[in-house]
Amino acid sequence: MKKLRIILYDIREVLYAEFGRVFKDSTVLLIFFIAPILYPVIFCFMYEKENVTNLPVAVVDQARCDESRRFIHKMEATPEISVDYKCATMAEAERLMKDRDVHAIFFFPKDFATDIIAKRTAHVAVFADMSSFYYYKAALLGSNAVLIDEMHTIQLERYAATGITGLQAQEQMQPVVYEEITAFNPTNGYGAFLLPALMILVVHQTLFLGICLLCGDARENKRSLLVIPARLRTRCTHRVTIGRALCYLIIYTPICIMTLWMIPRIFQMPQLGNLYNIMIFLLPFLLAVIFFGITVGNIFVRYKVSPLLCFAFFSLILFFSTGMVWPQSNMPQFWHYFSYIFPSTPGVQGFIKVSSMGSSMADVEAEYLALWFQAGIYLVTACFSLRFIKRYKVFNAI
Amino acid sequence: MIVNPVYRVFQRECKRLIRYPRYLVILTIGVVFSFVFFATMTDEGQPQRLPVGVVDMDGSYLSRRICHELDATPGVQVKEVYTNHMAARRAMQRGEIYAFYEIPKGTYNEVLQFHAPKFVLYNNASYLLAGTLCYKQLATMGMLAAGGVQREVLRKKGYGEKEIMGLIQPVAFETRNISNPWINYGVYLMTTLIPAIIAFVALMHTAFSIVRERQRRTVKHWMKKAHGSALYALLGKMLPYNLWYTLLALTANLIMFGFMDFPMNGSWLLMVLSTILLIFAAQCAGCFIAGCINDPSLAMSVCTLYSAISFSLSGFSFPIDAMPGFFQSFAWLYPIRHYFLSYTSIAINGNNLSQCWPYFCSLLAFGLLLLLGAMVLKWQVNKNTAEVEKKNIVKIKE
Repeated sequence: MKKLRIILYDIREVLYAEFGRVFKDSTVLLIFFIAPILYPVIFCFMYEKENVTNLPVAVVDQARCDESRRFIHKMEATPEISVDYKCATMAEAERLMKDRDVHAIFFFPKDFATDIIAKRTAHVAVFADMSSFYYYKAALLGSNAVLIDEMHTIQLERYAATGITGLQAQEQMQPVVYEEITAFNPTNGYGAFLLPALMILVVHQTLFLGICLLCGDARENKRSLLVIPARLRTRCTHRVTIGRALCYLIIYTPICIMTLWMIPRIFQMPQLGNLYNIMIFLLPFLLAVIFFGITVGNIFVRYKVSPLLCFAFFSLILFFSTGMVWPQSNMPQFWHYFSYIFPSTPGVQGFIKVSSMGSSMADVEAEYLALWFQAGIYLVTACFSLRFIKRYKVFNAI
Repeated sequence: MIVNPVYRVFQRECKRLIRYPRYLVILTIGVVFSFVFFATMTDEGQPQRLPVGVVDMDGSYLSRRICHELDATPGVQVKEVYTNHMAARRAMQRGEIYAFYEIPKGTYNEVLQFHAPKFVLYNNASYLLAGTLCYKQLATMGMLAAGGVQREVLRKKGYGEKEIMGLIQPVAFETRNISNPWINYGVYLMTTLIPAIIAFVALMHTAFSIVRERQRRTVKHWMKKAHGSALYALLGKMLPYNLWYTLLALTANLIMFGFMDFPMNGSWLLMVLSTILLIFAAQCAGCFIAGCINDPSLAMSVCTLYSAISFSLSGFSFPIDAMPGFFQSFAWLYPIRHYFLSYTSIAINGNNLSQCWPYFCSLLAFGLLLLLGAMVLKWQVNKNTAEVEKKNIVKIKE
């Protein structure tokens, strides 16, 4: 009983000392408090529009028939496309494309008109700018809607010519009706897809870098045992680790609520999950990140500024290894396993499911267990790493 | 006149780099690692055989044929055939499938009776790339199935093949994707991301080297080597990093456009020029931040915060024109934005210098930041020396 009280006392002492260190350091304050709030807000504003609208396109109409003109008018009426230029020749349109004035060219060749009259399939050539997939997507989305509509109009005329009219023609044209439901991201937008993943990655990276900075700071100032109170021996490294982890956990719980719950509400992003599930899910995530940060910070970081230099650009690799962009099912096996070194992978995957898709905790069982597993392993390594640097004081770190 | 002090600082920096090559080695490994990561990850070009599901409530010949035909398309594979909607939805929420078709009971009967049955396509847009690709495949499949039914009926009525095609598909698109006909994701990702990572690292490393001078109180020695000119000091300091990272970026471009056969329609020389200017501009930004902010770790974190959104603001993923006006202007402060524009201009659109000079000029304009940084640095050095002298005078008087 007495021993337990001593342990709790030690943990509290470490906790207070760590709080003091965090709040005295302007850089850590910037990374812990400003960055995780500022970035999500910036990203929310940045991807406010979700999709490309009014994409400037050029039209080369050499057919000059009723159908082609109607086609162009209908395209103009779609939200995705805006027909800014009507060119006489292809060369003219190409010039516009090269100057980035338009991002797609629709070419109606001369035989478009003859094909329509001869009841053959008439072809429209589409030249799409592939510098960004979003130009391509907007051009195809807008023009496909027009294509299907126009197809039906012409089909009705042609069926009428063959003697099939009215309901019969309708049934003939659409033997099967399709309904499309885009789940969890109703506008099929970029923001609603990217932001949840980015936000949790921002939490991951700020917490990780902040902890590394604090470790580097302690090392730089020759506090070789970090914040271990003088009377504690190296055997008690777990008290120090737990004390520090508690400090970061207390700081990051409100920040997580702010970034991952309030900001999505303020910006009205689709979020199906409830706060209770999200927080339950985030607990092992935060613990895993904290212990991972302490481990890496203790072993590798020697100066306060070096983690920013050496680890910051890694965010991009973390983001791509989470499987948000390139699907996990198609990732090479090696990278799939590699990505599970970092808490960000199960963190992002699970968070998307809990928050955006409204999955129950049972559905994210795999990710949840992976995070607890990581938290456990990194807790052990964090405790050992402290002992390790005590023994090898001049370890060759960055 | 200029060459000598710059050369002396250059020599001093090179000696340092040779004595402490740690960061250079780590960052180079990081860059190479990123390259290998992205190259192997997007090896497929476009994700193939994405898992999708079918809810087959009909269990007829037609619905089974649809399952088989779906499975036979290269883009998707039918992971499981579910018997009810709930099971499929849960699988989607677990992330096992990205989309599913729901074939209602009695479909085949209705087709036979010329009543249009309704198919519902659910796709998970939380994973944008995977969701969109699955949607595209499934929607195409649906169109083909509908066309197949129409064709059967028309054939039995005695129409010829050409007439049938004209009836089923009166208008069609011929899509030509300029310079990325395979819609290869790697091309679109790596051509901008890899230079962006190298520019990021160059910026951070240059800033770091300046910050270290301050930390180790060697600014005086550094300035002395440059004959007291802050501009020469900065130039000399930038040079070794410039050479090294430009070499890395050029090698990366050579591998991408040369060996990996990424589309390259323009002149190599211009591409080399824009790569050199990109690294230079990024370093200038780094010099400016490190020159202006005195606190070492604060300077480094500001560099990180600045560079972290460079990937989004390059505009290669989500186009800048679809962002709010503020970000459209803000993006001009990022060298990678200009590089991306010049890359699309040269490599994709095949322009020559007469069209892409504005991007080169904008990249060169980052040199102004270097001048500004040098001015602030000079002012700070002078202030410090004045303070030291003041203290000395006070000491002598005492």
